[in-house]
Amino acid sequence: MLETRNLDKSFGAVHVTRDVSLKLERGERRVILGPNGAGKTTLFNLLVGELTPDSGAVLLAGEDVTALPVAKRARRGLSRSYQKNTLFDGLTVEENLGLAAAVHTGSATRLWGDSLATPEVREIVEEVAEQVRLMPYLHAKVSEVSYGVRRQLEVGVALATRPLVLLMDEPTSGVGPEMAKGFHELLNDLPRDLTLLIIEHDMDLAFDVADTITVLNYGEVVFDGLPDAARGSKLLKEIYLGSWEDA
Amino acid sequence: MFQHTALRYTALILLAAGAFAQAVTAGYFGLEVLTEILLLAMLVLALDMVAGFGGMVSLCHGALMGLGAYAYAILTTKAGIAPPVAMAGAIAITGVAAWVIGAIGARSHGIYFIMATLAFGQMAYSYVFEAPLFGGDDGMGGIPRLDLTLIGLDLNDSRSFALFCLLLLAASYGAAVLILRSGLGRSLIGVMHNEQRMRALGLTVWRIKADVFGLSGMIAGLAGALAAQHVMYISPGPLAWTVSGEALVVVILGGLGTLVGPMIGAAAFVVLKHEVSNVTSYWHLVVGVLLIAVVMSRANGLFGWIEARWGARLERRLSDLTRKSDAEEVPTDA
Ligand SMILES: Nc1ncnc2c1ncn2[C@@H]1O[C@H](COP(=O)(O)OP(=O)(O)OP(=O)(O)O)[C@@H](O)[C@H]1O
Ligand SMILES: [Mg+2]
Repeated sequence: MLETRNLDKSFGAVHVTRDVSLKLERGERRVILGPNGAGKTTLFNLLVGELTPDSGAVLLAGEDVTALPVAKRARRGLSRSYQKNTLFDGLTVEENLGLAAAVHTGSATRLWGDSLATPEVREIVEEVAEQVRLMPYLHAKVSEVSYGVRRQLEVGVALATRPLVLLMDEPTSGVGPEMAKGFHELLNDLPRDLTLLIIEHDMDLAFDVADTITVLNYGEVVFDGLPDAARGSKLLKEIYLGSWEDA
Repeated sequence: MFQHTALRYTALILLAAGAFAQAVTAGYFGLEVLTEILLLAMLVLALDMVAGFGGMVSLCHGALMGLGAYAYAILTTKAGIAPPVAMAGAIAITGVAAWVIGAIGARSHGIYFIMATLAFGQMAYSYVFEAPLFGGDDGMGGIPRLDLTLIGLDLNDSRSFALFCLLLLAASYGAAVLILRSGLGRSLIGVMHNEQRMRALGLTVWRIKADVFGLSGMIAGLAGALAAQHVMYISPGPLAWTVSGEALVVVILGGLGTLVGPMIGAAAFVVLKHEVSNVTSYWHLVVGVLLIAVVMSRANGLFGWIEARWGARLERRLSDLTRKSDAEEVPTDA
């Protein structure tokens, strides 16, 4: 479904992505682990096209999309959420979801009629609001809801484009352990045919949702395999030290 | 999304009623002032569409209006095209020019976008100034007004012409509201809030910007075609960037992103200009002081200030009223 071949990216002298090759099957749920600065977010930026790789290729559903701009890749079914909330702050939760759904249904560019009032958009908004537990907040402005709710919306907006592949950059970053747990239940309830690539900091939580695990360190893939194998890996112990002991 | 509040409806009704009363009762000078207000209101309406809802602060809207005026003048006087067709042509030409400017400028933001639009405006200004086709420095005269005698309106009469402009301003306002409430307008507002996210969702951002800029240009073009008919003469002056700057000042004084505010601003600006310039020739100084006061007050212009102060209160009053009438209905039901 989503594949990278020998991706490389440097910022000046800093080599942030080193020869990264990944392959996600349809419906696979993969978690990316790695310490701060390992290049996880950079990899996402390369995948969606917000950054251009120095070399290597990105394939979506078997087609090379490396040369495609962000919007075109998105329209082919690649969607992402951000580590730092990237929402429409002055608008309501419903409008946030609606804007995304309207792009997907094609009503975002039409000159006649409200894009958010179409039955298709309303249906998506309602469904996504259920999926990410936002029903009670639909009419609240983003600026009026709590940080945790905004994190849910961050994922909701990405989901509302009805993607084939959803990339989530630390969806639980900054929320308490209780809420993070709830978040992972929510992720587990998503449709099984949706391919998920999730950056996660917390090991325990990662094992909650992962079919497969990839570990990045200094921009390099140092582990790629099943969660059980990851649990036993010595290398990971070294990278993760403290948090590993509790796992 | 652009929303009509009770306060906005009230302001619109007052504006329309005031303009209509003035159109019916005023003498020649009053009608001239009114027409000037209506045409400036149309221009600032067009500007607020892009600046207030798309963050595209344009310094070429005056030039776009001028382009509409020249297009109408040339189509009627040089090409001999009938005025109604020439008007449609002027609107279309200005729309296309604006679309191209919007498409090219779409990738730049803030000060760079302002500079890009300024450059386009200045290019148009100097071209018109030099080109013999446009009459150069001397401008062009003998521009005919639309012939609406079929429906009993003689536009050579200033009263009828003012009414005609009022009608077209109302239509432009309606069009602007419809555009801002459409999928396109929604997306533009989304882009203003968070361009990166809209792009990540799959939106071709530059197209949205260009399309709305083009539509805004059509309204500016209409204003220009009317301005050419109003004075029946056109010179390069209105294309100068200072006209665009003035329009921007009016939008900010009135209330950016409120549509209603800039139109009130246009009325206040023109009236003030005539009143103050009667007393002193330093009227720009007065406008400058006002602008500083508005900017320093951190209110969103005159109308934004009114909305912040009285908008919520008026809304509450109205909902109280409707609740009361609902309550009164209960016993009759029982
Ligand atoms: N645009 C950029 N310009 C220069 N350096 C950058 C840029 N983006 C990221 N970097 C650097 O690349 C490295 C990897 O950053 P990245 O954000 O991908 O890490 P990460 O794994 O997501 O970390 P975290 O867990 O803190 O989110 C860091 O050293 C960062 O400073
Ligand atoms: Mg990161």
